[in-house]
Amino acid sequence: MSALLSIDGITVRFGGLVAVDNFSMDVEEGRIHALIGPNGAGKSTVFNCISRFTTPAAGDVRFAGESLLADPQYAIAKRGVARTFQNIELLQRLTVLENVLVGMSSRVPGYFPLLPGARRRRIEREAVDAADEVLALTGLTGYRDTLAGDLDFGHQKLLDVARALSAKPRLLLLDEPAAGLRNREIAQVDKLLGELTARGMTIVLVEHVMQLVMSVAQKITVLSFGRKIAEGAPAEVRANPEVIEAYLGKRAHA
Amino acid sequence: MFGSPTLRQLAPLLALVLGALALQQLLPQYFLYVGNLLMMYVILVIGLDLLIGWSGQFAFAHIAFFGIGIYATTILGTRYDLPFLIAMPVAAMLAGAVGFLIAFPATRLRAVYLALATFAFAECAQWVARTWDSVTKGADGLQIPPTSILGYAVGNDQHAFPVVAIILALVLAATLYLQRSRFARSMSAIRESEHVASASGIDVKRVKILSFTLSAIYAGVAGGVYTLFNSFVNPDILGVAQLVLVLTMLVVGGSGSIAGCVLGAVLIGILPEVLRAAPRSMLVWQEFFYGLILVLAIMFMPRGFFGAWQAWRDRARHAADKRDAQASQDTRLRAKASTEASS
Ligand SMILES: Nc1ncnc2c1ncn2[C@@H]1O[C@H](COP(=O)(O)OP(=O)(O)OP(=O)(O)O)[C@@H](O)[C@H]1O
Ligand SMILES: [Mg+2]
Repeated sequence: MSALLSIDGITVRFGGLVAVDNFSMDVEEGRIHALIGPNGAGKSTVFNCISRFTTPAAGDVRFAGESLLADPQYAIAKRGVARTFQNIELLQRLTVLENVLVGMSSRVPGYFPLLPGARRRRIEREAVDAADEVLALTGLTGYRDTLAGDLDFGHQKLLDVARALSAKPRLLLLDEPAAGLRNREIAQVDKLLGELTARGMTIVLVEHVMQLVMSVAQKITVLSFGRKIAEGAPAEVRANPEVIEAYLGKRAHA
Repeated sequence: MFGSPTLRQLAPLLALVLGALALQQLLPQYFLYVGNLLMMYVILVIGLDLLIGWSGQFAFAHIAFFGIGIYATTILGTRYDLPFLIAMPVAAMLAGAVGFLIAFPATRLRAVYLALATFAFAECAQWVARTWDSVTKGADGLQIPPTSILGYAVGNDQHAFPVVAIILALVLAATLYLQRSRFARSMSAIRESEHVASASGIDVKRVKILSFTLSAIYAGVAGGVYTLFNSFVNPDILGVAQLVLVLTMLVVGGSGSIAGCVLGAVLIGILPEVLRAAPRSMLVWQEFFYGLILVLAIMFMPRGFFGAWQAWRDRARHAADKRDAQASQDTRLRAKASTEASS
């Protein structure tokens, strides 16, 4: 079976620093694939390569068999790849509903309101209905008309996911969706991810909260200083001495 | 929120036009002049707001497009004998085309660099108007002859008044439609976060270019309107003072809302007319006052009068909700207490 996402030997340099070093990874369709590693390992940089926020100096990123690297940033959503941001980025002065509607930009056509009124209203109605569905799924229905900037931290995190989800992506890139959340909220994210895979979505999960990673991931790739140091099922990875070393080494410094 | 503007929003526009037709006969010439001026400013300010308030692009070339609108409408009318109904839209399109062209380099710039570059562009435009003698007559300026629209002669403020009102009503209606479009949502998305917009599939560069173009078209229309009730234009109209004036209107009224723009244009636009009563020696202070108002408004009322009013209203509503909730809780508690007492 060929992979939905195939990262093939990418390298990213920032000045003298090699943030990602000849990194490869295959993500199978319908899976939750975790990408973990100590701070500064290069996980977010890998996400930036997939979503075209960064261009790797070498290597290729293929999605559904085609390279993404020739596409402009905004075209990635249309291909079926959506992402969240590690440091929550939201449309602060827009409502929760509007954030989710913006998330749909890749699938709702048209710019100017030149269509006849009835047709336009129908399209908008459908968009709002779809947005309400996403809000229900993420438990944000009660905050529909709240400004994103007024939400508490946990709900902001969820809204970032909801916004990405509303694009109905085939591949969802989640950059630390559980960082800073309370246990109850982490359980909510856990449940949400389960529901998403049940619907056939493929997810790459970057996360430091191991309890979540071990609970939802079917496969784990470990990155350290830009290199892949381990890959496999959660149980294997957890027992890998090199992984323990990388994490313990980091803890020893901290 | 989407679709077409409601009748309740469009009704005031009809009232504006009918009101203008009625007042045209009643008001003295001078009031009609001020009315025309204020309506022109509303168009100009809303156009600037599309760029600054809606899309979050701090660009200051607006007055240049206004100038293009004035000069082009005048020149097309006098040299090429085009009627106003053709000259004005062509001039607005010309302003839009220039806006479109400068948008390409402008979209590569951010924040203060964008502000500086567009400001420099406006200065260049003024220099062109001063220097291009054969077309603009340089510093001497151009006479704007009275025009006519479909046989209706527009020779003075009284004649211009309903025409300006109709143009303003059309511009406002177009803006209401725009506000409810998906494009407006894309504009506010790029204002809030280009990263989120882009990751969501919005072509940020395209939205910026279209915003610049639209904004310039509005300024061009305002320029066309200027020619309806003024008989003369010179390069001074393209100066910093005008820019500060329009910016002050936007900031004082409250950017990001049509009502705020209208409020700002009226409040600030009427000020020099009020100040006319002041002694002549005070007039040199006028520009200083605008600058001062601008700075004070930015410091103390970042969302303008309209924003401040909205915030006050929201707070009042919130407090009322809380009172209601408290009251209903009290009733519930009392009911509970009485059932407990009776059992
Ligand atoms: N735009 C940039 N310019 C310069 N260096 C960068 C840039 N982005 C990332 N880096 C560096 O590249 C390395 C990898 O960063 P990255 O953000 O990908 O790590 P990460 O694995 O996501 O870490 P964390 O778990 O802390 O989020 C770090 O050393 C970081 O400082
Ligand atoms: Mg990171």
